[in-house]
Amino acid sequence: MDHFFPPLDLLDTFAMPWASPEDIIWNGKIVAMGFFVCLSCGLIGAFIVVRKLALMGDAISHGILPGLALSFMITQSKALLPMFIGACIAGLLCSLCIEWLQKKSPLKADAALGLTFTSFFALGVLLITQMGNNAHIDAECLLYGEIGFTPLAKNLKWGAIELGPRPLATMAMVTLLIISIMIVFYKQLLVTSFDETLSISLGLPIKAIHYGLMLLLATTIVAAFESVGVILVIAMLIFPSTTASFFFSRMPAILFSTIPLAFIYSFGGFFLARWLDCSIAASMVVIAMFCFGLAWLFGPVDGVIPKLLYRKVSV
Amino acid sequence: MNLNFFQFVPFFRTILFLFTAGSLHAEQIAEDSSLSIQTVRFLSLTDYSVQIVLLGVILMGMGCGLMGGFVVTRKLSLFGDTLSHAVLPGVAVGFIFSQSKNSFSILMGAMIAGFLGVFLISLIKKTTKVRLDSALGLVLSGFYAVGICLLTRIQKMEFGNQSGIDRYLFGQITGLSTADVLGMGISCILILLLTFLLYKEMLVTGFDPGFARSVGIPVDLLQYILWMLLAFSVITSLQVVGVILVSALLIIPAATASIITQRMKSLLFWSAGLGILAGIVGTYLSFLGNRLPTGPLIILTSTSFFIITLFLHFRNGLLFKWIRSRGKEQKIAIENTLKAIYQELENHNFSEDTITLGNLAKRRRINMPEAHKEVKNLVKKNLAFLLLKKNQTLPNEDILSLTPEGWSEACRIVRNHRLWELYLTNEVHYAPDHVHEDAEKIEHILGDTTVRKIERILSNPRRDPHGKLIPSQQDIEQGFIEKKVIRTV
Amino acid sequence: MSASPPLFPLEVHDLTVSYHTKPVLYGVDLQIEEGSLVGVIGPNGAGKSTLIKTIMGIVPPSGGWVKIFGQKGKKAYTRVGYVPQRESVDWDFPVSVLDVVLMGRFAHVGWLKRVSKKDRSIACECLEKVNMLSFADRQIGKLSGGQQQRVFLARALAQESDLYLMDEPFSGVDAVTENAIIELLRELKNNGKTLLVVHHDLSNAKDYFDQLILLNMRLIAHGKREDTFTKELLQKTYGGRLTVFTEIAGQAASSQTSNQFPQKHL
Repeated sequence: MDHFFPPLDLLDTFAMPWASPEDIIWNGKIVAMGFFVCLSCGLIGAFIVVRKLALMGDAISHGILPGLALSFMITQSKALLPMFIGACIAGLLCSLCIEWLQKKSPLKADAALGLTFTSFFALGVLLITQMGNNAHIDAECLLYGEIGFTPLAKNLKWGAIELGPRPLATMAMVTLLIISIMIVFYKQLLVTSFDETLSISLGLPIKAIHYGLMLLLATTIVAAFESVGVILVIAMLIFPSTTASFFFSRMPAILFSTIPLAFIYSFGGFFLARWLDCSIAASMVVIAMFCFGLAWLFGPVDGVIPKLLYRKVSV
Repeated sequence: MNLNFFQFVPFFRTILFLFTAGSLHAEQIAEDSSLSIQTVRFLSLTDYSVQIVLLGVILMGMGCGLMGGFVVTRKLSLFGDTLSHAVLPGVAVGFIFSQSKNSFSILMGAMIAGFLGVFLISLIKKTTKVRLDSALGLVLSGFYAVGICLLTRIQKMEFGNQSGIDRYLFGQITGLSTADVLGMGISCILILLLTFLLYKEMLVTGFDPGFARSVGIPVDLLQYILWMLLAFSVITSLQVVGVILVSALLIIPAATASIITQRMKSLLFWSAGLGILAGIVGTYLSFLGNRLPTGPLIILTSTSFFIITLFLHFRNGLLFKWIRSRGKEQKIAIENTLKAIYQELENHNFSEDTITLGNLAKRRRINMPEAHKEVKNLVKKNLAFLLLKKNQTLPNEDILSLTPEGWSEACRIVRNHRLWELYLTNEVHYAPDHVHEDAEKIEHILGDTTVRKIERILSNPRRDPHGKLIPSQQDIEQGFIEKKVIRTV
Repeated sequence: MSASPPLFPLEVHDLTVSYHTKPVLYGVDLQIEEGSLVGVIGPNGAGKSTLIKTIMGIVPPSGGWVKIFGQKGKKAYTRVGYVPQRESVDWDFPVSVLDVVLMGRFAHVGWLKRVSKKDRSIACECLEKVNMLSFADRQIGKLSGGQQQRVFLARALAQESDLYLMDEPFSGVDAVTENAIIELLRELKNNGKTLLVVHHDLSNAKDYFDQLILLNMRLIAHGKREDTFTKELLQKTYGGRLTVFTEIAGQAASSQTSNQFPQKHL
């Protein structure tokens, strides 16, 4: 038991990763990857959560599996683009299926969701076991990813410019895309999330915005899950905005606070994993959970302790 | 690890993880394990491993099916999903505690973690404004991540390599031991006990907790019992299908059952039955191929049951509903044609008993081919017959007459229409120029009893609001013969 | 069906709506003239809110049509301001009072543009009108019922619509707010706007509105308050329902939606 938690060697945990330039580049890439995932998921997640779609992320992230498997079977290659397209199609199909079942079948919303994504996932597992041959097995990757391998990936080139490891470059681009969409379409996203009727009278295309958001979600999941696994994605959709909502009660503030939170999650998770020698992505979620706990207790908006204090004062 | 591998295939890893769930090498199925022989082997139950696996999936299907029935009707489907993820740190801690694959300590750890997860959800719900779905997501991913952290840590420790703990993530039915099946049996028996002893209490608390509390049922206690049994069935099934697919075992059979029936008792029955059947069929299918993954096959079998039910269930299936609505449309078209014929005849004060096809088309506002088709439908149903004129160059002059059945049907429909118009005008106080459109719809669905009721309310009227005659019950019964009576009126 | 002048702000013809197989509205016909302040009254479950929601296109009708300024469909809604029932708003949503009122300006802002200073000052003016400017930075959940109602009224003002639909704006509201709201409604009406207001309180309906719509599943009466607020008509509205009618209307509605499962309303 006593060696389950190794002694916390401050030097080894906090300083050694940054000891030499190579180390800094190597570990920097890992942390940067975590940061981008947390940031992009957090931004989308803020809207997903207020739209009451928190578990849709869960569903889609599992639902993309058959798409990945099929595109691999068809192209017989591991090229990024076909996989990306396959996964996006499967993800959207999954969300369409869920919505169709919710509308047309007598099932309750939660049952429709649970039924669809588990079936998609089972289909994906079956497909993958059918096409198997010749490779290493890295069993845990889909579910909790191995962010530590990010620096090992081949660099993505754009013309003569090296953009860095492919997962990192992809993720950075997706993050950029999300940030720019958030800036340009902030109003529309906000109104359609808050009040559908007003959106109707403003003449906004509610459906298009909804499916646009779903597509963006699928894109983020596909890009992120390449290296961090499903679990970090699901967690990061929900944790940042929920944590921030204990501090702020306006959308822009919540969106902006995703940045420092992503920073804390990625560094904190990295150090925690270094200390315990365990999965980095999962450690980031543990840190996120810890932050959520703190916010829950001490957050000025609706936190447990401020509420207690306020009650005492007012009595 | 092979470095090149990662340089080329960042995506590949994500896919390959699942190869553990089944065999990588889809080996050629040898002649002696051909389909029929495998089937015989499976059905004869001579193999010990087949026996234990079958017993396992039957118990699992029944337990999860019953639990699912309770869970889905209480809109708690996703609690099952959350619970199955939340037990993971407990599994890991139980493993660390006993430093071996001891089922008991893992079970206890899983129970505690599961309860902690559920408790946290309700605590978040109670003390914050975080919505339920977000709370579920928070606990699900948070606990799962803690579990993964612990498990990856365990793998780095010396006793970790013997763990085989992966099977909790993905499920592995071949590793099913007698002790595991015993666990399933116990949880299944407990669930059966709950179902039989506390059925009506569970029914009441599920439907209306407030009322249940008011009649003195310990709602919270029942809730905890439900959680405990849910945790039991999730944990024992974990080893067969893995964390993610456990919730499918709960949801899908119950969802299928909810389409078949709306009664709780038969819902539980169907749900358990479908769970068992899916378990057996899935296991059988996985037995046919060379180590096809059992868990996903069970789920997919269950899903195909669901899809079949959703579309093909006779009463509630979407396909039959569609067909029925098509049939209804055809019936309405026929009735409209009959009504048009009646009105044409009425226009001529019933002086003739035939009308031309051209006039019919004009009145129905359709073109000739369509009119032909409609008349053909009438002829097929023996409601009308065509009298062909000698002058074949003018097809518009084809002449048509009603059979007695057709006549009676036409009277009925016109009567419905005019009665309803009168009812709307006299009793519901619509303006007379407003009632026609509505009657157009209603005339097709008025049943005999309702017609009688309206007659009574209006005291058997003879004329509709536009002053036209309402053909009476007698006219309908007498059929064609009475036509002349109408003519004289 | 009389030949109508082309532009009624709101024209409803033979509108039928059903939840599951139960009819809620049946064959409702309405023509609202420009510049009128109309109250919709009727007992609980008479379909008052459903009427408004169907006009707004939130609830799909199973028959009939709605025209707004002579237009059908999505385009028509750009001239409508809607004040939702308090229960239907997500009060935990992370927006401030000013944010909500600014949303009303989005129709005037254009797709890719940001909210301008002018929009902001208009929003502030609207808040001032309802006496809520000092709360501009509050999160909307942290207001009293009357204040919340006033925020949504301010948003409707900011929209600068020509037709306003309001679903129970007086529910859960204190007397001061109620007076303030009715003053505002009158002012809007005097500026040539058209208002359709669902109201549940019979005692003051006559004082508040010039025209009344009496509704109980079907349209009982629509006209000037003197003509409609009569004992006989009110009795008809609030009295028992017509059993056969309800029954048959139910069958009709179910036969029209028989090819799909009943819609869910959560």
